[in-house]
Amino acid sequence: MKLWNRLLLRLRGGRLEAELNDEILLHREMLEADFIRAGMTPRDAAQAAARQFGNPSAAADFSRDEWSFPRFDAVLKDLRFACRLMLRNPLLTCAAALTVAFGVGANTAILSMLEIVLLNPLGMRHTDGVMVARVRIDKIQMRRAPDSGVEFREIQSMPDAFCAAAAMENRAWNYQNGGQATRLLGQAVTPDFFRVFGEDPALGRFFAPEDRQEDQHSVVLAYAMWQSQFGGDPSAIGRKIVLDDQPYSIVGVAAAEFLFPAGAQAWIPLVLSPARLQQRGMNMDLAVFARLRNGVSPAQAVGRVNRYVAGLLASTADLAKVGYGIELDRFAVYVAGDLRGPLWLLWAAALVVLLTGCANVAGLLLTRSASRRREIAIRLSVGATRWQIVRQLLLESLLLGMAGGVAGLCMAKLAVSLLTRVSLPGRQLLALVSLNHRLLLYGVALAMISGLLFGLVPALQLLRESQTSAMVRSRRRRFQDAFVTAQVAGAFVLVVTTVLLLRSLWAVQQIQPGFDPQHLTTAFFTKPKNDPGFQDRLQSALQASPGVESAALAYPVPFDGGGLTSGFSIRDRQRQPGEPEWHGEAYFVSPEYLRTMRIPLLRGRDISETDTAAAPLVCLIDRRLAERFFPNQDPIGQQISMYRDWARIVGVVGTVRATTLEEGSRPVVYYPLVQVPFFTQSAAVVRSGLSAAKTIREAVRRTNGSVPVFDVRTMQERIGESLGIRRILAALLSVFGGISLLLATIGLYGVIAQVVSERTQEIGIRMTLGAQPAQIVAQFARQGLRAGLFGLALGAVAAVYTQSWLASSLYHTQSLDVATFAAVAAGILLLLLAAVWWPSRKASKIDPQAALRYE
Amino acid sequence: MGTPNPNPEILKGTLDMLVLKTLARGPNHGYGIAQHIRRVSEEAFRVGEGSLYPALQRLLVNGWAQAEWAVTETNRKARVYKLTPAGRRRLAEEVREFDFLLAAIARVMESV
Repeated sequence: MKLWNRLLLRLRGGRLEAELNDEILLHREMLEADFIRAGMTPRDAAQAAARQFGNPSAAADFSRDEWSFPRFDAVLKDLRFACRLMLRNPLLTCAAALTVAFGVGANTAILSMLEIVLLNPLGMRHTDGVMVARVRIDKIQMRRAPDSGVEFREIQSMPDAFCAAAAMENRAWNYQNGGQATRLLGQAVTPDFFRVFGEDPALGRFFAPEDRQEDQHSVVLAYAMWQSQFGGDPSAIGRKIVLDDQPYSIVGVAAAEFLFPAGAQAWIPLVLSPARLQQRGMNMDLAVFARLRNGVSPAQAVGRVNRYVAGLLASTADLAKVGYGIELDRFAVYVAGDLRGPLWLLWAAALVVLLTGCANVAGLLLTRSASRRREIAIRLSVGATRWQIVRQLLLESLLLGMAGGVAGLCMAKLAVSLLTRVSLPGRQLLALVSLNHRLLLYGVALAMISGLLFGLVPALQLLRESQTSAMVRSRRRRFQDAFVTAQVAGAFVLVVTTVLLLRSLWAVQQIQPGFDPQHLTTAFFTKPKNDPGFQDRLQSALQASPGVESAALAYPVPFDGGGLTSGFSIRDRQRQPGEPEWHGEAYFVSPEYLRTMRIPLLRGRDISETDTAAAPLVCLIDRRLAERFFPNQDPIGQQISMYRDWARIVGVVGTVRATTLEEGSRPVVYYPLVQVPFFTQSAAVVRSGLSAAKTIREAVRRTNGSVPVFDVRTMQERIGESLGIRRILAALLSVFGGISLLLATIGLYGVIAQVVSERTQEIGIRMTLGAQPAQIVAQFARQGLRAGLFGLALGAVAAVYTQSWLASSLYHTQSLDVATFAAVAAGILLLLLAAVWWPSRKASKIDPQAALRYE
Repeated sequence: MGTPNPNPEILKGTLDMLVLKTLARGPNHGYGIAQHIRRVSEEAFRVGEGSLYPALQRLLVNGWAQAEWAVTETNRKARVYKLTPAGRRRLAEEVREFDFLLAAIARVMESV
């Protein structure tokens, strides 16, 4: 009430002031009139009134205090003063604000990703208690693999730990979207799927038991799908959509926030046959989710599952032999995958940048404090309290921090929109990253904390300096040294980390994949059902397209998760006792594949046009398979069985790395595409000097208009994606490292330059007394380098720790890369030398005459 | 002009009450309030303008009084203060507190 009245009064502003003055004037006039009535002369009356009344402006002042906020007004005054001061030092202001801006911006942007990835996966609301079960088979180094129906049944049978469980299987449908064939992604899910995620439908209902019948084709649409196909029309419920030529009736629409799995457009009921629920290790393509029962912690649930598995292994020797297990993870871990480590690293790096930035700005402000000593001393002597001085100084740095913070949030906004466009395996995840109000708050808080952080020491120091003699300068020097040390240490850690990552990345990129990835474009398509000659016609159409050097069809393509893994056997050969099952990868390719990929044919012949569907089954093997299984014999003519039947080996080709650049793949078998027609999709591989994405789309459309094309990417892009977030990590860390290095250099330079300017007189005296320029340079250089060297030592210790963490949790960097450490240290030292040498040399050039008259 | 009060400032905290009481008789302007208090207290209390106007602002801020511009008998535009219901309640409260205080002081003084 009181505050409200105050604010109301305050809003009236100037009018209020005028009214008050008017009122006081009236009071005085009435007093005068009374005196005159009592018999005074007008002049005496005026004097008497003035005497009695006292100081009218004092009365007005006291009155004003009643409705104003004195403290607030004082802060406003300080604020105005701080603004003027900032504008008078535009260079310093810009430098400080930019430093904070970068730190805050980077931090906020990275935290926004962390939030999506870790804290609030996919922006979904109720994922706290959701766990994911995945299979582990130690024998073949398989971890976190999809489940078979058995694991679903088992998780479902643990009601003491989970209140709901669901299985999910990916689906892809052909869908006619306004006359254009598209590929629609979705999932088949068991009825409790939405219950596990704690979701309610936005419209209609989710699946019920009656949807489980095979002939009941029900579908739940994703919110985006409902919007784009039905314009958000509620009458969509009960209508039908056609997926793979099969009508499905819409029973419900999921909430707009339900975005799992990313890109899912529709869900249909999943029917698991009794056989599937019994065959462990077969049809492993389910994802199994479960919601924790209330009061059960994730760790307890993991314990429950582990106990179950232990019992299972005790009774089933076969499972124990292969090292079978079920891994239970929190949903956030499942979604984030390998992004988490790198993001935490980046966040820490951004924090280091912000902290070194703060140290830098604090150093700058300390340097400036020398020139403000007089101002503060005067203000203290005319009655300002220490609190008022500190308040004003802190306000100045807070203002700087806020200016930086606002700029930083703009930078974060920009950075986030850039990052979401980066090509990554988890890109659908990153596409959801956005700045929300909590992150804005975080950014602002960070900016204010930085303001206080870099403002406090200079403010207190300035107060001390202005109160006592110049003796306290030595303390300022100590602070400055500490700041330089901190900056150099931070820069060292960041640069070492960056260089290590760049080195490992560079080493990986030097690896040749075994084919020529330049000018290759790949695109998947769904095979049409009633068009037997489609693939032949498509290949001809592609080869005839302008700019195309050669074209082939294949399934799958390298760097799309590798070939199809399968066990195989060789005719007239038995496995040695104890030898693990023979495993290899298979690709199904058209005759031109080797030539298009530029994979060398080492022996025998290529797959040819004569290897038709009706001809005897043949295959090519790669060199790895030939060397391992046919070391001293000719593999040509041998028979191998992996898909369909025994296939005669007709050729040996070079080895290809097809999953990641670092790892060699398993032995590979290539089959003629037409001889193994098991798959619903296939890919076009085109070598062309021109960009071939459009060429492929055109060729497919002309060959058969109802065939959707998807996942169009160049081979370079696919390889780049296999490097994953490491590329982005290295790029961002380079920027961070560079900035912190720049800051450290500037910081040291500033300190030495200030020391030189403060001691000009002393330098003059010493030079008059015969000091050599070299001695002067050495003196200042020594002083500056001491702090720098100390920082390097500190940074080295921190970097050793960082690196051991990096080596264990991220990528295969050497555990202690002495060469990198030494090189980075030398580089930083050189920079520091330059930063110190410049002002020191200026000192040695001081004219003694002028210096003595200085100040 | 009577005997000048050696300490013209009224007992701290009672000025608001006096002003409220004065306004309880009817709306008045600043000068009128000062004159009334002076007259009724037989020159014992001379309200300094340096404390009257702050007090009036205080009443406004607390919502105990409202002010509006009116024309005085002498055809002069003046700001006239009027008690609000909240102000009336406040006055009752202050009077009660004051009575309590007076009684307490009286008991202390009579106890000897």
